Amino acid sequence: MKYLKYILRNVRRNKLRTLLTIMALAICLMLMTFLYGYLAQMEVWGREADKYNRVVVMHRQGFAGRVPFKTLDEVRALDGVVAATPFAWYGGKYGDGTEFFAQFGTDPNTLFEVWSEFKIPPDQLAAFKSERQACVVDRALAERLKLKVGDRVPLQGTFYQFNLDLKLVGIYESPETNLSLYFNLKYLDEGLRQLEGTGSAAAGNCGTIFFKAASADIIPDLCKRIDEKYANSSEPTKTQTEKAFSQMFVKMMGNIQNFILFIAVFVTVSLTLVAANGMAMSMRERTTEIAVLKAIGFPNHTVLAIMLGESILIACIGGLLGVAAGRGIYALAHQVAPMVIQISNMPWEVMAWGMLVAGGIGLASGIVPAVLAARLSVIDGLRRIV
Amino acid sequence: MDQSFQGPAVVVRDLYKEFYRDKLTIPVLMGTNLQVERGDYLALMGPSGSGKTTLLNLIAGLDRPTRGEVIVAGDDLSKLSESALARWRSQHIGFIFQLYNLIPVLTAFENVELPLLLTPLNKRERAEHVRTGLEIVGLADRMDHYPRQLSGGQEQRVAIARAIVNDPVLLVADEPTGDLDARSAREILDLLSRLNAEFGKTIVMVTHDPHAAERAKKLVHLEKGVLVDGNQQPRDQGIQVGTSEGIKA
Repeated sequence: MKYLKYILRNVRRNKLRTLLTIMALAICLMLMTFLYGYLAQMEVWGREADKYNRVVVMHRQGFAGRVPFKTLDEVRALDGVVAATPFAWYGGKYGDGTEFFAQFGTDPNTLFEVWSEFKIPPDQLAAFKSERQACVVDRALAERLKLKVGDRVPLQGTFYQFNLDLKLVGIYESPETNLSLYFNLKYLDEGLRQLEGTGSAAAGNCGTIFFKAASADIIPDLCKRIDEKYANSSEPTKTQTEKAFSQMFVKMMGNIQNFILFIAVFVTVSLTLVAANGMAMSMRERTTEIAVLKAIGFPNHTVLAIMLGESILIACIGGLLGVAAGRGIYALAHQVAPMVIQISNMPWEVMAWGMLVAGGIGLASGIVPAVLAARLSVIDGLRRIV
Repeated sequence: MDQSFQGPAVVVRDLYKEFYRDKLTIPVLMGTNLQVERGDYLALMGPSGSGKTTLLNLIAGLDRPTRGEVIVAGDDLSKLSESALARWRSQHIGFIFQLYNLIPVLTAFENVELPLLLTPLNKRERAEHVRTGLEIVGLADRMDHYPRQLSGGQEQRVAIARAIVNDPVLLVADEPTGDLDARSAREILDLLSRLNAEFGKTIVMVTHDPHAAERAKKLVHLEKGVLVDGNQQPRDQGIQVGTSEGIKA
């Protein structure tokens, strides 16, 4: 701490150079944390889901396949299944279509048992269970669409060629914004049965079944039992934890994730070189000064620590600004495009990772100039006129 | 520092220093012998390239000899490791440079405080030492000024305060007036004389300036790496003349 004042003064010595270095770091780290925040969303979902012992049953072929209602009834009957609820994607257009959000047909009687972390007033839940055209939305979506209980929510079919005329009967609170609308699957099924062709084929089915297990210990056995039971049926299943289900979405990104990783690595290397150049220039300008410090008795390791402290401080200031800006943009993106950025706050591990990268850049960019400074011959340093 | 040590401040015995440039070996000091008693004020003169600064650097523990001994305050510098030598310098040597070499981003106070950062003194104790140092050089009222806000003479006085703040055995000054006008140079020389007379500081000063050399109690000349007679009884003070071997390739 004795040397902090000297380090701070050195950081401010060439204000323009320091500012430009900090800005370069901040802008790149802002971009990187934003991109990683986007990728990390699914991880957050998976981590949160782990708390609730939820399991997902879907067709072995993935989202292209369907799961019959019969399977839902059989899953519900299994030992260790607390509650199970079906999910069927509707994908309708609301209003002029500029507001895009998820709409699922489900079972009002079990939705809030499986998603026990969702909180809804009892009277609203009762209305949801009793009214055929009822729907519920989370608080964030209600605010976004300026909806209140009692409003009509007309949805125009895009995936299925029929419309839904829903009535908002409840607004639930969820720990994390999920921007979803839930309505009675029976209402959707009635519509599907009236269609011809592929639409009618979807009737009597759902896309996925979510169920809540009594404990985490029994989940592997439950998954195995379910998949074995339907292995030779016309609708084989793939049963997995909600966390594994969320990671499917990460895997779907596949090359995009790797692409972002490559960009991040190259940006980090470039940034390190830029910062190292700045540090090297700074050290060179101060050769005589460093020699004086060593002449009056500063040991090599103290000189090394002072110089590294300087580069790490600059990088961390840049990192802090970059991460803060990345977080701000992330929150803004959540407001503007909530289906793309689904959680409002950037995961803390992404921010920690950003700061760690910043510190690493500071260390890597400063190490060579700092070692050179520490090893500088006092005689050569005093002789040099910069 | 071993304050109880009562022997000579500096003993240089059969000192050789060679530099290597490409394939050339350039001898700078050749068998130099020198003894400086505690409380002495010695001026080293000689033409450029005679080895004055090299000798000063070796005495100050900034460089290592090719062979020979340098003993300062009883410590044989050749036996100290790099880190031990750095620690030794911080405790025993005060440096005064021609170009002052203050840290431009630090105030006069902070510049003087620098050597004390290497000591176990706390902040309050450091501040007391710094104030004392700046009072001695007459700049107590400028402690918050940055080097750019001071004249050359004032900068050199701050540098002298920095050199004496940790009460070293030896002050080494390399052309301390070389970059100053006549009046400022006189002030600096007065200050050095006072440090020697009042505070008993041993001073070894390299200078080209005969006026500066006149202020020293003793004067020795170096020519081509060999000490030759000065004009103030160098032999009586234990200064021995070395032999010139010329420059060998």
